[in-house]
Amino acid sequence: MPAGNPPIPAKMSVVLTEDRVDKLIPFSTLVSGAVAMGFEVHVFASVWGLNAFRKTSPSPHPPVGPGHGEEGARLERTLADRKVPSWKSMLSAAKGIGALHVYACSQSMELFHLTPADLDPIVDEVVGIATFIDRARHAEASYFV
Amino acid sequence: MVVDARGSWCPGPLMELVRVIQEEEVGTEFELLSSDEGSRKDIPLWIDKAGHQLLRIQNEPGFDRFIIRKSHS
Repeated sequence: MPAGNPPIPAKMSVVLTEDRVDKLIPFSTLVSGAVAMGFEVHVFASVWGLNAFRKTSPSPHPPVGPGHGEEGARLERTLADRKVPSWKSMLSAAKGIGALHVYACSQSMELFHLTPADLDPIVDEVVGIATFIDRARHAEASYFV
Repeated sequence: MVVDARGSWCPGPLMELVRVIQEEEVGTEFELLSSDEGSRKDIPLWIDKAGHQLLRIQNEPGFDRFIIRKSHS
């Protein structure tokens, strides 16, 4: 590898708008898997997605979203009984092995009257959408959860 | 060295592998144990992309044993 010419990592962007466990587990699986595969991952947490990163959000597992009836209740019990790692611990593990950037949507911060001190430290910074678009530029894959 | 990721959920075993490979010296051989079905394709795929060596896979009752060598830093 020529000096001064480091390889450009593949990039992925994810917009998170949900705070229920049946969305957060697939989200954290996608993100941590991508980081393990060497992707630089950029996450933008907006509205309920930002809500999920509040220090007061249910831990380790928030409830399943509505409309899943008995199957949803069974999923919640399985997550608890089998000690499935929390979505946040998966993100922490991803940060430990690679490049994961988590941004809080500045508009949602205002909607919920939040300050950075209200958020889990896994959130790196509060940004506007233009900054996220710029950071996520040239992403090979972009997801909306 | 044995990295026992049995009972860990996808992509837990892969995350463990990436973490351990980062920490170990070049040339280190170790075993990764995984009971996750997805590991059978995910682990060889990652090792190939990352340029390390998968020496062999042993199918054991209820889990797989991946024998791996770290090939470069």
